[in-house]
Amino acid sequence: MQPFLNQIWIARWPLWEGFLLTIEVASAAILFGTVLGCICGIQLVYGPAIVRFPFRVYVDVMRGTPVLVLILAAFYIPSVAGVSLSATQAGVLALSLFAGAHIGELMRGALQAIPPGQAEAARSIGLTFPQTLAYVLLPQALRSALPPWINTGVELIKGSSLLSIIGVGELLLRTQEVIGRTFMTIEFYVFAGALYLLANIFLDQLGKAVERRVQGR
Amino acid sequence: METTRPLLEIRGLHKRFGAVEVLKGVDLALRKGEVVSIIGSSGSGKTTLLRCVNLLEEFQSGDIVLDGETIGYSTKNGRRHRLSDRELSRQRSMTGMVFQSFNLFPHLTAAGNVMLGLRKVRRMGKAEARALAERWLGRVGLAARADHYPSQLSGGQQQRVAIARALAMDPKLVLLDEVTSALDPELVQEVLNTVKAIADDGATLLIVTHEMRFARDVSDRVVFMDQGQVVEDAPPAEIFVNPRSARLAEFLRNTRT
Repeated sequence: MQPFLNQIWIARWPLWEGFLLTIEVASAAILFGTVLGCICGIQLVYGPAIVRFPFRVYVDVMRGTPVLVLILAAFYIPSVAGVSLSATQAGVLALSLFAGAHIGELMRGALQAIPPGQAEAARSIGLTFPQTLAYVLLPQALRSALPPWINTGVELIKGSSLLSIIGVGELLLRTQEVIGRTFMTIEFYVFAGALYLLANIFLDQLGKAVERRVQGR
Repeated sequence: METTRPLLEIRGLHKRFGAVEVLKGVDLALRKGEVVSIIGSSGSGKTTLLRCVNLLEEFQSGDIVLDGETIGYSTKNGRRHRLSDRELSRQRSMTGMVFQSFNLFPHLTAAGNVMLGLRKVRRMGKAEARALAERWLGRVGLAARADHYPSQLSGGQQQRVAIARALAMDPKLVLLDEVTSALDPELVQEVLNTVKAIADDGATLLIVTHEMRFARDVSDRVVFMDQGQVVEDAPPAEIFVNPRSARLAEFLRNTRT
């Protein structure tokens, strides 16, 4: 045990940076994904058919493709198209598109689950459609979408480990580098696994706390 | 002529859902301060008529004129256009609607429900809107429940909040769509009393109801609709005592309790 603890101490900064990058990448992806997902969900429910169609295609393609394939696509395709992205940027792009599709789909479900009487009541007092959306529909949809939204966040923290494939120095890649030097394979993989687990338990508890606050009525 | 102009005038209203014609040329007029109840069996088109007046439904032909303004559509170069969302919203705010299923906003308190339209449509300040909301909740007997969420209120209380929400907007006309049909029998009376109180205060009401005794008590006129048409339109005494058409006589026989 002592040699392993010594090695952890020696590798503490690279591992810490990797952990931070994992959290940063996942946070960026959930942020962009949420914005994209809200737009997507609203369009899928209220958009005219001609707008609905491209969003439908986007959601289905993203949800039907393995995340790893999306990551490789985001890494290679932009450079062919003449846009240069760093590995981290490509990773954030891939995870954001993935999250956007999932959140879009769960927002669609949450919006469609609101009884039609809610929108009618809002319209009957004279709210315009954007006002109805902002003050009546979205507050209710976001509330019911919260548990699956947290779930998507957990998926993103786990999914960010796949970015090690394209050379993003997140937790898994840093761990592998340490293992390459120390050959303490099992110990360091278990350690990395525990860190992922901790981050996800924290996110889960955070979600449950918010849920209790907003749904205790 | 200005003084005799009706507040609401519906002329030749036709409404189709696909191939089914639900309203087949409805004519109806209400003067300011008048209380008119629409009765008829389900499927007669009475709820649809109310929803057309509140612009929740589109209609294929005919005009609805509210206080001199033709609502819902404009005609340009002989072609009929549905108005924009902004215009429709403005016109909807001139009428208040109370629904069978209350439709309170569950994420807002009773006061929050009443305040939303005051703040966002009438652009009132927070304190002013709150004061007006409290006054209206007091009028419907719920001053003590202002900070309760809908889930903490009984059905009758929820419906009274919905009435306060509609009336606080100071609408020219209030539409009541079977407001007691979703209530437990012992809660019906409190809502009917509230409606009666606002009628006595001079509000113009167009009511769809199955409560015959209530329609008789509160209305200046009762309209009987059948199969998408107005069959009879007369004071309650005539409608309930001397029905002229066989269809109304039969309807009343079947609903007498």
